[in-house]
Amino acid sequence: MNWPDLSMGGYGFYVWGSYLFALVAIVWEVLSLRHRKKALANEARRAVADDDRPAAVRTTVLRGSTNETTS
Amino acid sequence: MLRWIVWRDLILAWRRRSDILSTVFFFVIVVSLFPLGIGPETQLLRSIAPGVVWVAALLASMLSLGRLFANDYQDGTLEQLLLTPQPLFLVVLGKVLAHWIIAELPLVLIAPLVGVQFDLSKQTLWVLFVSLLLGTPILSLIGSVGAGLTLGLRGGGVLISILILPLYVPALIFGAGAVEATIIGVTPAPNLYLLGAFAVVSLLFAPWAASAALRISLE
Amino acid sequence: MKLYKYASPAMFYPVAGKMIPWFAIPAALLFAVGLYVGFFVAPTDFQQGDAYRIMFIHVPAAWMGMFLYVLMAIYAGIGWAFNARLSSMMASAIAVTGAMFTLLSLVTGAFWGKPTWGTWWAWDARMTSTLILLFLYAGFIALQAAIDDPRRADRAGAVLAIVGVINVPIIYFSVQWWNTLHQGATIRLLGKPSIAAPMLTALLIMLAACWLYSVAIVLVRLRCIILEREQNASRLAEVNA
Repeated sequence: MNWPDLSMGGYGFYVWGSYLFALVAIVWEVLSLRHRKKALANEARRAVADDDRPAAVRTTVLRGSTNETTS
Repeated sequence: MLRWIVWRDLILAWRRRSDILSTVFFFVIVVSLFPLGIGPETQLLRSIAPGVVWVAALLASMLSLGRLFANDYQDGTLEQLLLTPQPLFLVVLGKVLAHWIIAELPLVLIAPLVGVQFDLSKQTLWVLFVSLLLGTPILSLIGSVGAGLTLGLRGGGVLISILILPLYVPALIFGAGAVEATIIGVTPAPNLYLLGAFAVVSLLFAPWAASAALRISLE
Repeated sequence: MKLYKYASPAMFYPVAGKMIPWFAIPAALLFAVGLYVGFFVAPTDFQQGDAYRIMFIHVPAAWMGMFLYVLMAIYAGIGWAFNARLSSMMASAIAVTGAMFTLLSLVTGAFWGKPTWGTWWAWDARMTSTLILLFLYAGFIALQAAIDDPRRADRAGAVLAIVGVINVPIIYFSVQWWNTLHQGATIRLLGKPSIAAPMLTALLIMLAACWLYSVAIVLVRLRCIILEREQNASRLAEVNA
């Protein structure tokens, strides 16, 4: 493996700048979604804790699947 | 039905004449600001004139589009119109036609006058007039989709600009291109044909999309 | 087990969860392989030097930006026509990723343009139409954000996306037309990089990686949207967890 010239023949700023921006964009997207998901999971946990009846949970899930065609 | 809607909107607009005038003044002021910002160099002004006049027309239509359905929406007329057996397509077409007469036609008529500020030749002014005459119906047509979609939303005025201005791009390019072609001594015909074709495409699709948008917004 | 069951957001939620690793892990692997081929195997271009290596991220980003807009419009249209909520949610989930790729292609294009054309931005036909594409994404996202009722947001978004998708070819043509008329604005690459086999390989691998990444990240966002909108699904998530 021959390590490429890190200065990219003088174009290093442009090449690394592009890939750095791509990295930042992807990391931002992944992290912001992880954050959003965590917030939602916390909310859901609180909602379930409010009514601790597992049977009720199961029925609401079933209803969720059957009324799909109408809505 | 079509004639009734157009007539009704024209009468309503006549009662609020100041709205029409302020759109026209906005157009004239925006166009007149450019020489102040750029400098009075005739050659430069002549070359930016087509773009300036056309962009000012796009911005002026943004101002009036908010009112296209808003008043009828607020007083409930729009819901009544939706219930009539007439196809919504015709209602939209009538309102678009009225909007064009109220808000766009005055701009078309005054444009040659503001064009004089930019030292355009007589032939160029004529092409400017024709390009606006062909192109401004596109602004009303596509704009009606945006007006329908943003009906009753907060911040509708800014939102409609974001939605609609990018869709205006072909009209701007062909319209300003026709005028510019005349300035550099080439025939404006291809640009005008393309502008006309885009107007036809808009006429086919926009009223349909605007009707759908109104149904969605009023549901 | 019937397939249409999965068209329900609540039922699709766990399925999407199982699908995500199948796209995310290959995406990460292919990014690594693509970058390896792009930086270690592909030779330096004799005209553009190493600057051409920006291509490996720029070209896939530009393609994804365009492709995702069409895909978004299709999902939004299906969601509207058949009243399929999942499809509409998919459209909303795609929009942000599509806008991200479009922005990425503009930024990397600027980074590529500076050393090869000598300018960060040129009103070149492709850059201009990509910019307008970004505006169209912005309109879609802004419209959906401004509407509180999710069903209205879905449908309004669908109308806008369909009008946009009809308009996109006309916009592309008009920008092309505008660009050929204004000779001053045309710019030429300093000789196109003669595509060597490893360059093409790296490009295709990076494209596949961007593809897989998009699927994975869109599914993650779709799951968030399902949770936000469906009370039942959020409980389902809790039960499954």
